[in-house]
Amino acid sequence: MPTLTVDGRVIETAEGKSILEALDDAGLLMNGVDVPHYCWHPKLSVDGSCRLCQVEVEGFPKLQIACNTVVQDGMVVNTTSDRVRKAREGVVELLLINHPLDCPICDQAGECKLQDYAFDYGVEKSRTREPRRAAKKRVDLGPTIVFDQERCILCRRCVRFCDEVPKTRELAVFGRGDRSVIETFPGMELDNPYSMNVADICPVGALTTKDFRFKIRVWFLEDVEGLCTGCANGCNIYLGIANNKVYRYQPRRNDDVNETWMCDAGRLSYRDIGAPDRLQYAYVRDATGSLEAAGYEAAIGAAARRLRAIIGSKGAGVIAGVASAHATNEDLFTFRRFIEALGTETSGVAVPKGDADDLLIKAEKAANAAGARALGLGDASLVADRIRSGGIDALVCLGSDFLGTGLLANVEELAGLDTVIVLDTHKSEFSRVAHVILPTRHAAEKHGTLTNAAGRVQRLRAAVEPAYEAHPDGAVLSHLGKALGLPGFDGSYDVRAVSKALAESEPAFSGIHLDSVGDRGRVLIDPDASQRDREPEGPNL
Amino acid sequence: MLKVPHVTSYLTEHFAEDAFGTLAGYEKKGGYAAARKALTEMAPGDVIELVKASGLQGRGGAGFNTGLKWSFMPADSDVPKYLVCNADESEPGSFKDRILLERSPHQLLEGILIAAYAVGACTTFIYIRGEYSFPADQVERAVAEAYDQGHLGPNVLGSGFRHDVVVHRGAGAYICGEETGLLESLEGKKGQPRKKPPFPAQVGAFGMPTTVNNVETFCHVPYIVNRGAEWFRGFGTEASPGTTLFGVSGHVVKPGLFELPLGTPLSEIVFEHAGGIAGGRKVKGVIPGGMSMPILPAGQLDVPMANESLRERGTMLGTGGIMVMDETTCMVRVGCVISYFFRDESCGQCTQCREGTGWLNKIMNRIERGAGQSEDLGVLLDIAAKMEGQTICAFADAAAWPVQGLLRHFRADFEEHVRLGRCPFTASFEL
Ligand SMILES: Cc1cc2nc3c(=O)[nH]c(=O)nc-3n(C[C@H](O)[C@H](O)[C@H](O)COP(=O)(O)O)c2cc1C
Ligand code: SF4
Ligand code: SF4
Ligand code: SF4
Ligand code: FES
Repeated sequence: MPTLTVDGRVIETAEGKSILEALDDAGLLMNGVDVPHYCWHPKLSVDGSCRLCQVEVEGFPKLQIACNTVVQDGMVVNTTSDRVRKAREGVVELLLINHPLDCPICDQAGECKLQDYAFDYGVEKSRTREPRRAAKKRVDLGPTIVFDQERCILCRRCVRFCDEVPKTRELAVFGRGDRSVIETFPGMELDNPYSMNVADICPVGALTTKDFRFKIRVWFLEDVEGLCTGCANGCNIYLGIANNKVYRYQPRRNDDVNETWMCDAGRLSYRDIGAPDRLQYAYVRDATGSLEAAGYEAAIGAAARRLRAIIGSKGAGVIAGVASAHATNEDLFTFRRFIEALGTETSGVAVPKGDADDLLIKAEKAANAAGARALGLGDASLVADRIRSGGIDALVCLGSDFLGTGLLANVEELAGLDTVIVLDTHKSEFSRVAHVILPTRHAAEKHGTLTNAAGRVQRLRAAVEPAYEAHPDGAVLSHLGKALGLPGFDGSYDVRAVSKALAESEPAFSGIHLDSVGDRGRVLIDPDASQRDREPEGPNL
Repeated sequence: MLKVPHVTSYLTEHFAEDAFGTLAGYEKKGGYAAARKALTEMAPGDVIELVKASGLQGRGGAGFNTGLKWSFMPADSDVPKYLVCNADESEPGSFKDRILLERSPHQLLEGILIAAYAVGACTTFIYIRGEYSFPADQVERAVAEAYDQGHLGPNVLGSGFRHDVVVHRGAGAYICGEETGLLESLEGKKGQPRKKPPFPAQVGAFGMPTTVNNVETFCHVPYIVNRGAEWFRGFGTEASPGTTLFGVSGHVVKPGLFELPLGTPLSEIVFEHAGGIAGGRKVKGVIPGGMSMPILPAGQLDVPMANESLRERGTMLGTGGIMVMDETTCMVRVGCVISYFFRDESCGQCTQCREGTGWLNKIMNRIERGAGQSEDLGVLLDIAAKMEGQTICAFADAAAWPVQGLLRHFRADFEEHVRLGRCPFTASFEL
């Protein structure tokens, strides 16, 4: 393994790595060793054009760009000399001579690399007397992105992204010299399932998303680590939070899951959190048959009464449970316990499906289908079949995917049931047939873990608090279980304790719980094997 | 009939005869004998050693040792290797390659064959500047003749060596003369120099090992093979052997192309061969090697025209394009023209070059308009320093050096503009 010395610090690296990669791999880049850079991005090809990353390499008379200099064993690098500083100052000054200095009205202000490096390496007073180059403002590049040509520093990250990641190649540099501009190819729009990533990688405020533009100044935002729940990939994200509100999702780097990207649909799914159709109350169908808002406790009481009556008359076997693939491992573990305690054999999980690609987007449009499978939950088609054949009188359903996955022709198929109890985050068609609806928390509002398609268990954090009474699915089931007097249900729901109990009882999760998965997640211990082990025991676990 | 005045010549010896441009005419003067010799009697390594020993320096501007460059090509390679002839000649003040292409295309092809054999290239791409239609026609005609006669193709000169030549026309960008910008353009991409490493000898045209040489460089090679390294070293200086083609333009009586040994004093070229300054005026400054090279003042024309001696005066031989300016010349205007060229031609990848070329030009123009300030001179030098030696290719250096040269030797012109608030020279023009 080649070893290099950077500012006296010895770093080991793999064969063929550039100086910047070596620093990045060692976690030192801009975190102990400052090598400012614009065009280099860890997940894109090397461009070598911004010339900001120049460093002194012993044995080379000229400064070398750290992004394109492959480490040779014994290489000695200096990033702090006067010459290096001068070179950085040069690049920054030259980038600023034509920059519009829009900061007061620029969305990037506060997270702008030109601001940052101008602060670090800029001259205090502009020496240019020449008129700044005028260029196009507010260029509509497509459905998601607005472009400001004046702010662009031509690092070409956006071009390389479109060429190399979605491979849709919408962007290019047109013209040359100081007339160079980024544009879409004639007749083309920047329109691909990952288009909004260009706004993240643009070091300046040249590319902004229509969605986030002008919503809030970024310095008011707190970034909370979390997960996208748009599909089974489980992309790692930051939730941008202010005043208990989620303003945006941005990808958080996890080389094992999503590198530094996320898809547009997933990014925009933050809108679900504060959506107007969130369930803000519990609902109970009254004697006249109309569904009325109710207090949470009253709704739990109503649900318990209905279920108890059915158990009393026909036994628990006529109750079916449908779990949600959006629920956390802890929710689902509690669901399984709930079903077991009830003593019914009819349960499953409803997994919504959609389009997939070979980059990130998975066909399963829920974050925890793999977790549900690892916990032994079968397909909800069993439930649908039994409802159709008339063997079911009551349904306890987590979420509304049971309606949207094609298992039922329509919601009216449930109209004949004696009791339908729904735990959900949003209003749905269920309001036509449900007898009790209990509001639950969105993934952004609760702690827990999710298992992605690759079996990686990842940490979910409560980033915001709902403004009304809503509990995680697991907690609601726990309240309901207590009201029903089910063994082992005392109405409490300590997610950390549940996570540990899960890890202890499930071989696949052995040692894998909320506090042990770290910020990159941990892969299940052979999930297939664990599922096979479960099978002989049947659904009555 | 074209007149090429010369004192010492081999390259241009027969240029007065139109027939020299045809295969028959060229062979009549002994053409293709060197290629025959190299391809049938010499090993490729011997050719490289011979050219190394001759001390031939590339004539494309950088003056790199040609034999040494050839030796960088991988000897064993399981992929094809290519040779590229750089005929993009776009350096203002330079017009030597054009004459070679027009008058002696077979001399070029013979040099190419020898080089191709030496480095083991299967194909040569001749990249010809877009504006050079007649030269391109001449080369295409010569290539067709050579194929006809078996001098190109599957069995070159009966030696068993296979070689193909492809003529490619550029589209008129200066930066496509930079060897990796050329390669990009050749591949059908936007002409933008590549970052190095990798160097063309590892990853060149279409990803294959490639050597790029200038037109004139190739043209010297047959003579070296025929007459030997010692003979070649009989011309020029110890460090810079051979003759070269000096193109003289500007305020001289007889502008033109002169084949002279390297090391010939600049004054001799300007005052004897080019007939001195027109109209009996005095010389003010001379750009010695194409527009990228720093200018020399009248007092320094004694300098021998070879890289080692020009470097001592803070300039370089470049392409040997000598631009002579008399005492009526406004050096700020010269700065405007030069900086406009580089601003226009920068490919725009590197921050320093893209932004620096524009800034230099804007300041030059402002000074010429009479709105300069004394700080501007320091800023000009500072921008030039920021551009030098820090970019993907040498274009930024080429844009910075002329500015440094002008301010080194003609600062008074700039100061005068600032002091008067106008251009003190009469023949001013709209910018
Ligand atoms: C901006 C720029 C323009 C150039 N233009 C030319 C050119 O027009 N013709 C040429 O032969 N070399 C040109 N060169 C030099 C080439 O990059 C290369 O060094 C040369 O073709 C190598 O040939 P040689 O070794 O035979 O000189 C240019 C270099 C730069 C930096
Ligand atoms: S728009 Fe942004 S990412 Fe694209 S080249 Fe310009 S500065 Fe770079
Ligand atoms: S790929 Fe899936 S997890 Fe990733 S951002 Fe898109 S929807 Fe979210
Ligand atoms: S120095 Fe100038 S011409 Fe050369 S690659 Fe950089 S921007 Fe292009
Ligand atoms: S980061 Fe290395 S040149 Fe831009």
